[in-house]
Amino acid sequence: MSLIARLRSMLRRERLDRELGDELRSHIEMRAADNLAAGMTSEEAGYDAQKRFGNTTLLKEDTRTIDIISWVDECVRDFRYALRMLQRSPGFTTVAVLTLALGIGANTAIFSVVNSVLIRPLPYHDPDNLVMVWESSSQHPNPHNTVSPPNFLDWQTRNTVFSSMAFIFDERENLTGNREPEEVVVQAVSANFFSLLGVNPILGPGFAPENGQPGHDNVVILGYGLWKERFAGDLAIVGKSILLNGHPQTVVGVTPQNFNWFIKDGSLTGAKPQVWSPFVFPQAFHDHKQMGRFMTVAARLRPGVTASQAQSEMSAIAAQLEQEYPDSDGHWGVNVVSLRDQISGDLRPALLVLFGAVAFVLMIACANVSSLLLARAASREREMAIRTAIGASRWRIARQLLMESLLLALIGGGIGVALAVWGTNALLAASPRNLLDLHAISMDLPVLGFAIAATLVAGLLFGFLPSYISSHSRISETLKEGGRGSSANRRAFARNAFVVAQLGLALVLLAGSGLLIRSFVRLIGVDPGFNANHLLTFKITLPQSKYGKDLSCIAFFQQLLARIRVIPGVRSASMESFPPLTGLGAATGVHILSQPQQSLGDLPVANVGVVGQDYFSTMNIPLRAGRLFNAQELAQEKHVTVISQAFADKYLRAVNPLGQKAVIYMKSDAEAESQPSEIIGVVGDVHQIGLDTAPEPTVYWPHPELVMSGMTILVRTSTDPLALVSTIRNELQQMDPELPTAAVATMDQLLADSLSRSRFTMLLLGIFSVVALVLASVGIYGLIAYSVAQRTQELGIRIALGAQRRDVLRLVLAQGTRLTLLGVAIGVLAALALSRLLATLLFAVSATDPLTFAGVAALLAIVALGACFIPARRATCVDPIVALRYE
Amino acid sequence: MNKPKNDLLQGTLALLVLKTLTRGPMHGYGITLHIQSVSKEFLRVEEGSLYPALHRMEQDGWVSAEWGASQNKRRARYYRLTSSGRKQLAEEEKNWERLTKSVAQVLQFA
Repeated sequence: MSLIARLRSMLRRERLDRELGDELRSHIEMRAADNLAAGMTSEEAGYDAQKRFGNTTLLKEDTRTIDIISWVDECVRDFRYALRMLQRSPGFTTVAVLTLALGIGANTAIFSVVNSVLIRPLPYHDPDNLVMVWESSSQHPNPHNTVSPPNFLDWQTRNTVFSSMAFIFDERENLTGNREPEEVVVQAVSANFFSLLGVNPILGPGFAPENGQPGHDNVVILGYGLWKERFAGDLAIVGKSILLNGHPQTVVGVTPQNFNWFIKDGSLTGAKPQVWSPFVFPQAFHDHKQMGRFMTVAARLRPGVTASQAQSEMSAIAAQLEQEYPDSDGHWGVNVVSLRDQISGDLRPALLVLFGAVAFVLMIACANVSSLLLARAASREREMAIRTAIGASRWRIARQLLMESLLLALIGGGIGVALAVWGTNALLAASPRNLLDLHAISMDLPVLGFAIAATLVAGLLFGFLPSYISSHSRISETLKEGGRGSSANRRAFARNAFVVAQLGLALVLLAGSGLLIRSFVRLIGVDPGFNANHLLTFKITLPQSKYGKDLSCIAFFQQLLARIRVIPGVRSASMESFPPLTGLGAATGVHILSQPQQSLGDLPVANVGVVGQDYFSTMNIPLRAGRLFNAQELAQEKHVTVISQAFADKYLRAVNPLGQKAVIYMKSDAEAESQPSEIIGVVGDVHQIGLDTAPEPTVYWPHPELVMSGMTILVRTSTDPLALVSTIRNELQQMDPELPTAAVATMDQLLADSLSRSRFTMLLLGIFSVVALVLASVGIYGLIAYSVAQRTQELGIRIALGAQRRDVLRLVLAQGTRLTLLGVAIGVLAALALSRLLATLLFAVSATDPLTFAGVAALLAIVALGACFIPARRATCVDPIVALRYE
Repeated sequence: MNKPKNDLLQGTLALLVLKTLTRGPMHGYGITLHIQSVSKEFLRVEEGSLYPALHRMEQDGWVSAEWGASQNKRRARYYRLTSSGRKQLAEEEKNWERLTKSVAQVLQFA
């Protein structure tokens, strides 16, 4: 049969209906006329003619089925009917739609983040073959340690698993010229970096292979953001020259807008790169003895090679190098990590937990709506029974009810997507800097597809049971019993089960957020080792060209600090090379002379901090033993060092550290060995990386001992630190108008940033679990309120027979208590099983922390019983007379 | 209801309707009357099956339908056999003969 014809028929349905009616009527009239002629009375004649047709409506429907693709037509009618039903009970509809919108919206918002971080392909050519290659040492906890240049060169020549390898290291450089000076993050890369990623500049040719040759490396590629902001998106920028640290560099390209290469591990600046320049290895970089580890390495797997094959070959190469260079490569191995894992690594557990949490919220929402539908279905039982009696099939009834559910889901989903758009923006606004890539997260097709799928699944999920029960009820009983028929028991059971499930799910979420809250409380309770209040930090990097000599560098910083100290509102000022919470410190091997000499790789390792005058007092780091640097030691090299408590505890446990001499391998080996430093003091520990990372052994040198051109200035103020920034900038401008201040922040901000990920996860999970708690409470409230309404008559009789308020209360609460306890018990078991997924997010709290579990179980039980109490109290107020007249 | 009630075998309704329409265009009521009178009141067409069948045959293109006036000036929908309907009729007649012959053989044999 022609589909087209039937589809056409569907569009002309009204006319067809009219014609069919006419046709049947003319048939009946002709029959009646013949009957009349045969001698029947006119009444009999009409009746007989009509009777022969039987159920005309059914006949019409059957005939129409032929003309039209009936199910499409029926669905349309079901849809209209469903719309009318929902309009008729606006209260129910509003509650159901909002509940669903909340569930679907939260899922969509979190999925949009999951999609951009974990699912969407990275913006590189064939991104699945890109890996990061790190070093890792059995003696260091960091699995993603940076790489030494000579090792990189050896890897490059010996491996057969990578089609190419590139190195990256970043530094801050002064961009001067057309506008006020600005410090930008420059990534020095091998010339093949962009071709390895398969990224082409949107302007310019990019790096050519010869840019990797000495003398041809004075070129740069600008990041899209810097090009837009600093160079106003100048389309003729290619070929122009910019000044970096005073050196002219020719622009040969601009990166695409979506190029967001940033690997936080191994980054010295901890900031997103803005400029790329090719770097040519000087001769010293080939020397294993001289070079430290500071480079990040990316590589592309050869076609057909897996990451684990690459891992095993690289491990073999590392073993060779360990043999050949025991001093520098002892204990060092290689760690190959896929780029995807590298990028999503720390976010993945938090995101998956949040995604699971919103799925739970949606399930609770579905259970609520399903329960509402069940309650409503009970009151519509007669309607369904009558429809069945006059010929509607089970499937027909089930389909109609499902259509109502789907309609609810669709409306809820629509509002949910709108909520998600708003919610995603709120999420991004609340998310810590650098945690999520703002541009990458958007409502794209996969997200929309997910929302639609979630909507449909939700609709079927919460609609199935109510429609199944309604379509399988026994009509005769229903009609006899006046609407409280056979399905009532099944419905009651289903609703009880839903409430138990909701409470269980809510408990899991509450347990999760409870653990995160406890963990966060522990975390903020950690003493950072210094006072972060009213402390301003910013970074100054002196260009080598102008301040190449050590003395001019020392003098500049001393003068700058002296100028800052006299600014009103400044209590003290100092500087450090790598102050806490500003990124990785520099670490090196330390040989304590009273201990036996070991190969370089086996030496104790310590962070090295280079400090200015008053550093420890400015930071409020306490002196534990000995003394701090005096004025002479801060003015010239006196070969002294102050160590941290952790250093003393770890490496000098048995002896008095004061007076010990140590070789700190931060200068060239010969220089270091000829000038061992004497330990003059021990100071308190500070958390260098974050509060959740244990303090590392640290040695401090005064600035003249190791002159660094890039220092972070620390200013302790008596007022708002940020209010002093412009005054301090003025002082700086007077000393050198070309010097920018970089990374201006208060220590409080840095501390908050270091906690931001934990806070963010905790906050989101907290919100979701509160939503879950509210939904579950509404669920149990609805159930008890409904059952009280159903039992009004019974309660009335009980009261009439002398039951006290207390008895009635107990009767009603008993039901709620049973469900609550069951739900809580199931929830606790489920939470115990699931909470270990949280383990990586927890700090100093066990994933099965009994206090947390007891607390959230009590909280849920109290809230749920509170929700039961409202209808229970209403039950005690039942007036027996009114109740007995009921019905 | 004292008339003998012989529901038509599934499938034979189309055959009878098509055959009836070889006499010329006819409305639904006329078709029931014709089948009833030719079969000497033995076969009775259920209205409940006739109209769905007619509409199906129309969708299949075996018959076409248009509105016309009946003998006593009533508006009625007349069905007319199309050429593909004739082919279908020939097909169904052949099937019917084969069926009755086979049934007869079984009856004789047993």
